[in-house]
Amino acid sequence: MYSHSVRSPSNRLDFTASRVMTKLSAMEREDSPVTKKQLGIGLLIIGLAGIIALLAIDVIDAGRPGGIGPAQSLALLIMAFLALVGLSLIPRGDAPA
Amino acid sequence: MSHLVARLHLPLMLAATVALAFAALVYVLYAANLMAFPYDYDQGEGFEVHDTALFSRGELPYRDTELYPFYASNYPPLYHVLAAPFVWIFGPAYWYGRLLSFLASLVSAAAIARAVYRDGGGKRWIALLSGLAFLSSNFVYHIGPLYRQHTMMVTFETLAIVILASAFPRQNRRLIVLGLILLICAGYTKQLAAITAIAACCWMFLRAPRRALRYTFAFVAAGAVIFALLNFASGGQWWIQTIVANVNQFIPEQAFGLFILWFKLHGFLIVPAAVMLLYETYLDRLSIYSVWFPATAVLGGIASGTWGAGDSYLVTSVAATCILSGLFFSRLLAQTWRLPPQFRSLPTTALAKAGLILVPLLYLGYARATLKMPTDGHFAGVARALAVEGNVRDNFFDSATFDAGGYARIGYFLAGADRAAGDKIVAAIARTSGPVLSEEAGFTMAAGREVVSNPTQLRNLHLAGLFEGEQLLNMIETQAFDLVILRAQFYPPPVLASIHRRYALQETVHMNGFDYSILYPNVAD
Repeated sequence: MYSHSVRSPSNRLDFTASRVMTKLSAMEREDSPVTKKQLGIGLLIIGLAGIIALLAIDVIDAGRPGGIGPAQSLALLIMAFLALVGLSLIPRGDAPA
Repeated sequence: MSHLVARLHLPLMLAATVALAFAALVYVLYAANLMAFPYDYDQGEGFEVHDTALFSRGELPYRDTELYPFYASNYPPLYHVLAAPFVWIFGPAYWYGRLLSFLASLVSAAAIARAVYRDGGGKRWIALLSGLAFLSSNFVYHIGPLYRQHTMMVTFETLAIVILASAFPRQNRRLIVLGLILLICAGYTKQLAAITAIAACCWMFLRAPRRALRYTFAFVAAGAVIFALLNFASGGQWWIQTIVANVNQFIPEQAFGLFILWFKLHGFLIVPAAVMLLYETYLDRLSIYSVWFPATAVLGGIASGTWGAGDSYLVTSVAATCILSGLFFSRLLAQTWRLPPQFRSLPTTALAKAGLILVPLLYLGYARATLKMPTDGHFAGVARALAVEGNVRDNFFDSATFDAGGYARIGYFLAGADRAAGDKIVAAIARTSGPVLSEEAGFTMAAGREVVSNPTQLRNLHLAGLFEGEQLLNMIETQAFDLVILRAQFYPPPVLASIHRRYALQETVHMNGFDYSILYPNVAD
């Protein structure tokens, strides 16, 4: 086993780079599937970004009459649901999605 | 107890099969009845016949609507190109387009059955019921045998998904390419297929991101090249007519109404499909069907709420529902769940026993929920036995009724009086010598006249600020049209105002449950 304390900074960089390269080439060979956790994080980000974007419509277009309309409410609901599904998937860890 | 359950399973499965086979029989008879009818049944069919005729002559229907004959189509070309050879042999007619659509719906049902059989562990009976369930859907019934491109799009989508489901995990390059070509075919049949394409690409990405990106790039590039060629060949009209003019107003009540109707009709299968989706999301790997089903249900459902859209926009989700519920039932009965260790104590054997009763009952419930049939003639006895009375034109029962905007107000069988009414309108056209402005193309084509204008397209372009209609308005104002035929009055308001100013209603012809107004030049002018 390597020990961080006995390696010079340049050696550490080489070691890290070599690990990244090994990981990348392994990924290329195996083309690992997306995990439940990664999917969960992705859905959570999409959901939250969607909610922010939908609410921003009213902030940016402040003069627009009517506030949050039915189509906007529906989209907000879908985005919130996506975020919740994403959150609930994160504990499923490295199982393939 | 378990012996009794096993004994009940067979008769219940037989009952479910008979019920769904009856729905298929009604569908076949409806399709045959419709194919024999030479005029528009669903509004807009005639314009698709005209698009086919244009393609058969090597002409594109993506044109400048400011110029006579003020005609353009908002649909991609593939369905009409496929039907074009029939025009060379039979001339413009409805029957072959309706036949193509009907056959396409049967292919979809067969693909659904194949998917359930292959991916559900070879449960033949469940596979058969899944295919029949698709044909029993009221939404499929409405759109299935029409001269509309929608059914063909669903078929291309379903075939693509069923092929990719097996080909992508096995890395079968040839079949993956075939699946993606079918997706491109679906997109160039109708734009709505974009939802399925996105779902398929997302699923491939979940399975193998690098490989998926390579295929997706090639897929998008191929689609973009075709898009650019069509746009170039039409002088930019392809973009205006099929994309810009297709952005319609969203009507929330219509979308909500159709969502509720979708669930009321298909709930018996939607719930098992949703359970399968939950199972794959949290306990197993997501199949392509589990990505396709929510995508087409949610996005297709939202799209169904746009002006001019309707229940047909949820047909793809019905195909996904039939497959996913079929796979759920197959797994339930065969006990082939792949459960993580903490869930292995689930009583799967007891659930499988319950499934012996539950599965056929759910199919029976679905058959009842989607029941539609004539209530007169040969069907009168069956209608009485089932205690259903005609709720459509007094001689047809439709369990969905007409309680949601965007729901297709069609499905009943056509009578001789409908054909006679169409003949009467054609005769009125034949008595004139000049051009005729008709809201439906079938009459003018039957009279051997040029098709002038496409009202919904002009309306959409007008709303997008892309149609001024100076030449058309001038022709109306100078009474250059010998006859004007209106039905839904879809023309832009200035055009309608001009028509009502310069033309007078002389006759109303009732056909297919709709009133056709026949207007002649106002002699007082």
